[in-house]
Amino acid sequence: MSQFQRFLAKRIGIAAALTLVAVTIIFFTLRLLPGSPFTQLVASGNLSEQQVAEILSLYGLNKPLHEQYLIYLQNLLTFQFGYSIRQTRPVWEILGPKLFNTLILLVPALVTTAVLSTLLGMYAGWKRGSWLETGSIVTTTFLRSTPVFITALLFIIVFSYTLDLVPAFGMREITASPTGFADTYLSVDFLHHYLLPFTVAVLYYSGDFLLLARNGVVEQKGSEFLKLHKAKGLSETEQLLRTGRNSLLPVLTYFALRLGMIFQGLILLEVVFGWPGIGRQLVMSISQQDFPVVQAAVFLMALAVIVMNLVADVLSAYFDPAVTAGGGS
Amino acid sequence: MSVDSVEPVRSWLRSGVDRVASNLRFIAGDTPAAVGFAVIATFAFLGVFGPVIAPHDPIRYSVQTGQGTIARLNAPTLAAPFGTTAYGKDVFSQFLAGARPTFIVGLFGGLATGGVGFLVGLVAGYFGGTVDEVLMRLTDLTFSLPFMPMALLLLTFVQPNIWVITAIVAAFLWKMPARVIRSEVLSVSERTFVRSAKASGAGHLRTMFVHVAPNVLPIAFLYTAYGVAWSIAAQASLAFLGFGDPTTTSWGRMLRQVFASGSIRVAWWWVIPPAVGIAAVTTSVFLIGRAYEEVINPEISEQSQ
Repeated sequence: MSQFQRFLAKRIGIAAALTLVAVTIIFFTLRLLPGSPFTQLVASGNLSEQQVAEILSLYGLNKPLHEQYLIYLQNLLTFQFGYSIRQTRPVWEILGPKLFNTLILLVPALVTTAVLSTLLGMYAGWKRGSWLETGSIVTTTFLRSTPVFITALLFIIVFSYTLDLVPAFGMREITASPTGFADTYLSVDFLHHYLLPFTVAVLYYSGDFLLLARNGVVEQKGSEFLKLHKAKGLSETEQLLRTGRNSLLPVLTYFALRLGMIFQGLILLEVVFGWPGIGRQLVMSISQQDFPVVQAAVFLMALAVIVMNLVADVLSAYFDPAVTAGGGS
Repeated sequence: MSVDSVEPVRSWLRSGVDRVASNLRFIAGDTPAAVGFAVIATFAFLGVFGPVIAPHDPIRYSVQTGQGTIARLNAPTLAAPFGTTAYGKDVFSQFLAGARPTFIVGLFGGLATGGVGFLVGLVAGYFGGTVDEVLMRLTDLTFSLPFMPMALLLLTFVQPNIWVITAIVAAFLWKMPARVIRSEVLSVSERTFVRSAKASGAGHLRTMFVHVAPNVLPIAFLYTAYGVAWSIAAQASLAFLGFGDPTTTSWGRMLRQVFASGSIRVAWWWVIPPAVGIAAVTTSVFLIGRAYEEVINPEISEQSQ
């Protein structure tokens, strides 16, 4: 095995082990802490003992804990999330569309911000000491350090309630009852609802990419490499692009990490905008104590982080051999 | 006490004062950091004295109109300079009182985040090998357990109060400083003075804390400051989702109330104070942090013209 393959095998092993530990923690957090929805269901007294036993066996809760745990692991591995307690539907039927709604909002936002703020950051680093550099740093620092729901609330107040340009809530008009994919996501109504949460997400993510790109360029200013290019008579733009290309690896790996955190990161954004995504569903299911849904949603969020961490590690190892040589930890 | 024993203390104090003074001069030289410092000083003042100087009880007191009825959703007036809430409470008093829980979670969450991260990073980087492997897999684990969902889960079972929230924040966020400090320790440990300290028979604890630790302290302080901002943001976010301490007024809880009551449509005066309060504090911490990062990170500062 080459050094890179060994590194890859080790990283995949670690990711698998982490997934196992993470799902174990989720399982025991939900089962062992007091006040499960099932005790509440039983304590409400409206059910006969017969019905209680039926419900418990339906959810496999009459089995010993270690058997429940094994069944749970088996089910997660096959993406069988069971049935929702509050809605008589399979969990996946509830979460699948929500997951898609989250992705359709956040992936384009993340890509947009990665491209735009990386370019802006490179330019800001190039113009070190200018008002543009200071201004862009202060602005994006504000946007990334302020909790996203606060930015969202301020934007809603300005653009929805004061200027009345875009709706403040939801993904479609309440009266709209779209059928099928195209009807749901390809309409003016959808776009209208999309603009504000999309913008806030782009602005929220912009800071990290801007600073990464800016630092990358600043670190290389005055390097031998750049002097060489200057000596070769390259134009300022050409020099900047060469410098920028060298600092793209951190941006790329950071993009992968951010993508992993996408579902959990903007729970608050979805709540504020009433966006029917997986984050908002999680908050609702927690308050309804619909544990099969909660369990599945948290699992998907953890899995996304683990997988994208793996991708980020592999990316940087692939493009920067010094990482694998150093053992990769 | 003899002069001999006082002298080191005195010189230590003097160098301490010098250090504070030079730090203040440094901050004053960087406009964004200077503004940030002023904001944080104000916030700290509110955190300590806010509830005392609040003119009314934030929850029990209701603002009255001239006719003797409760003033609901009133725009700012002389009687209530920041207006009133949908329940007739004084927004100004709530704003002042609400600084304290925000301040407590921020301060202790930040200290715990920085402290735990510092220790984990120091021990992992210093000992290396199995110790490092175990500690780093542990940080990997906290990186893969999504913070917000896990915090929400825990808070459904445990009655939230500011200390529980502080503990949850610290339990999840120490990973950030731990990684950065570990890699710093790795590079410091290679330096001659650490090797010679070890060679001359200094114990692990002594080498770690006397020779290695001072070199990574600036980064530990920086991440403690960031920890303050993360804690404040986490506390506000949890409170906004309804998972905050239900017994105290905090800025996050004020925002939850204005949002959940639907008054956000009209009552801008109820939204702006807590929103700007949180945004100003978290931004300020990061602006100061950035100014210091330029100094700490040699790659950025050496090239600066």
